Amino acid sequence: MKNKKLRLGLPRALFYYYYAPWWETFWQALGVEVVVSPPTNKEIMDLGVSLAVAEACLPVKIYYGHTAWLAGQVDVLFVPRLVSVEKKSFICPKLMGLPDMLRAAVKPCPPIIDTVINCVRQPQEGLAAAVEDMAGRVGFRGREVQSAREAAQERYLCWLERQQMGRANGATDLTSASAAGAAVSETGKPGLIDSAPAQAGSLKVGLVGHAYLIHDRFLSMDIPAKVKKMGGEITLPENLPPDQIALACRQLPKRLFWTLGQKIMGSVLSLIEQDSIAGIIHLTAFGCGPDSLVGDLAERYARRRGTPFLLLTIDEHTGEAGVNTRLEAFMDMLPRRYSA
Amino acid sequence: MKKIYLGIDVGSVSTNLIAFASPEEMLASVYLRTYGQPIQAIQEGLKQIVTLLGKAEVAGVGVTGSGRALAAVMTGADVVKNEITAHAVAASFVVPDVQTVVEIGGQDSKLIILRQGVVTDFAMNTVCAAGTGSFLDQQAARIGISIEEFGPQALKAKNPVRIAGRCAVFAESDMIHKQQQGHSLEDILAGLCEALVRNYLNNVGKGKEILAPVVFQGGVAANAGMCQAFNRALNIEVIVPKQYNVMGAFGAALLAREAKLESSSFRGFELIDRHFSSNGFDCQGCANRCEVVEFREGERVLARWGDRCGKWSNAVAV
Repeated sequence: MKNKKLRLGLPRALFYYYYAPWWETFWQALGVEVVVSPPTNKEIMDLGVSLAVAEACLPVKIYYGHTAWLAGQVDVLFVPRLVSVEKKSFICPKLMGLPDMLRAAVKPCPPIIDTVINCVRQPQEGLAAAVEDMAGRVGFRGREVQSAREAAQERYLCWLERQQMGRANGATDLTSASAAGAAVSETGKPGLIDSAPAQAGSLKVGLVGHAYLIHDRFLSMDIPAKVKKMGGEITLPENLPPDQIALACRQLPKRLFWTLGQKIMGSVLSLIEQDSIAGIIHLTAFGCGPDSLVGDLAERYARRRGTPFLLLTIDEHTGEAGVNTRLEAFMDMLPRRYSA
Repeated sequence: MKKIYLGIDVGSVSTNLIAFASPEEMLASVYLRTYGQPIQAIQEGLKQIVTLLGKAEVAGVGVTGSGRALAAVMTGADVVKNEITAHAVAASFVVPDVQTVVEIGGQDSKLIILRQGVVTDFAMNTVCAAGTGSFLDQQAARIGISIEEFGPQALKAKNPVRIAGRCAVFAESDMIHKQQQGHSLEDILAGLCEALVRNYLNNVGKGKEILAPVVFQGGVAANAGMCQAFNRALNIEVIVPKQYNVMGAFGAALLAREAKLESSSFRGFELIDRHFSSNGFDCQGCANRCEVVEFREGERVLARWGDRCGKWSNAVAV
């Protein structure tokens, strides 16, 4: 059933911000039409909040909204069940449960490709099995899957590299895409925030948090842009080499359980070692279980090192005034403190 | 005619204005309830300043507080600063070697850490307003005593009861329970103060190094019961400045003075009698449906804000 016109829905939320280039390239190489939901807007948020269970964190609620937005217009939804993406580490349980939670809430719900991705023991085999399964669900097998996988991997690695150099956003602009109502991402770039090249006299600030928070401009209330407007030059976890992050994590007495938590913790640990970093902002979602532990741990290490640390918690009720006051006060404090 | 500096702090619960010619001598200070109507509160405040001082020449205006954007447009402020900076500046003026500022207002509580006169760290209450002035107000009203009597009553306590201070709703049910058991009102009020201080230190003060001198300001500093609870919990005698309830405005005025302006862009005391209005609408331009606020003087649009893209806010030429 090789249907060239198969429409596959990809919600622009959560792991989209980590794996979009891989996923989009893979499906497109197989000749599938990939439909990506538009950047989060009020309609999507309201939709998500009304469908989701009350105790979920905001990014999960947003994911419901994106899925519901796509539900009526696609033949199949791609919501992989990410259990583990690397050895001995896991993804948050709320995210593992997404396919089931969505089936229960979104009515009518198109079929969901909910391939389990589990690399906790044997990463290579786990990934291979997952790729085979997800392609097999819509009737693709053999060589073409293999070559689609290679193309996806190549795009992905190239994208990671550009992220590290802080140039991953290219020409893609989230806001203009949303204004045009563009549902399909042609380039496959999730429109990431550009860490601007250094300007003389600007303050270097580390901005850490989950990519699905930071890069979702609606959710994060465009905090990266706000920081820049206040004279900050930001470094994101994606801008740091992964092995540097992993190395920094080794100073912890115990290995962290969560993949994303390690990323945040490792980023903070390696940023506080850099004398040029004036302060660190940690963006977190209200109700995020892993962050409640990781964030606190990160703050303690930062404090020990004497690096100013600002925790910003985002929720659906968050008013911009409160966030602005905290950011402004933080950015006010940094230069005085830094030069003192 | 005297040249004065004006400071305006438009907070959630109160709107405060102060005026001085030199910061050592406060000429006027006004503390008003905002009642959710910042425009009227600012006009009323300015009216009272005029009543107290006559139409003085204004050398500079600083605004702060959560309503600072509105206040800035309305008055033509020279300096617009966040509350943290304003409170820190004011506290270090009153107590030059201050190392800790505890500020508890209507819906906000803040902790500011200073070292050698520089803000080195701060914290604000997160999503919950449990330990702030609004809650004390509400409890005083429930018990039927005025907020002014609250402090003196709490000081009479012999044996403060333990009340759960984590959440305002639970604290209230806990208080009612203790009342029903027959504990004296004084003991309950003192217990409530201790619970709030505990909540503040555990949440806002979490992990921060609180060193003397500690300045306690904001509307809640009027409550002697709260001061005593802080003294006991910290083992430090907190300092409550004379102008404790207008420190934000004082800081804003100090910042305006520091700016060393050639001339102020203050729009004049005439604005007391002008008609200002604001209304909001949902922009239909894209799916974000931003809630845009339009601020008018008479028919003329002075400013708009709330839009993410700048379509509305940039369209106004002030």
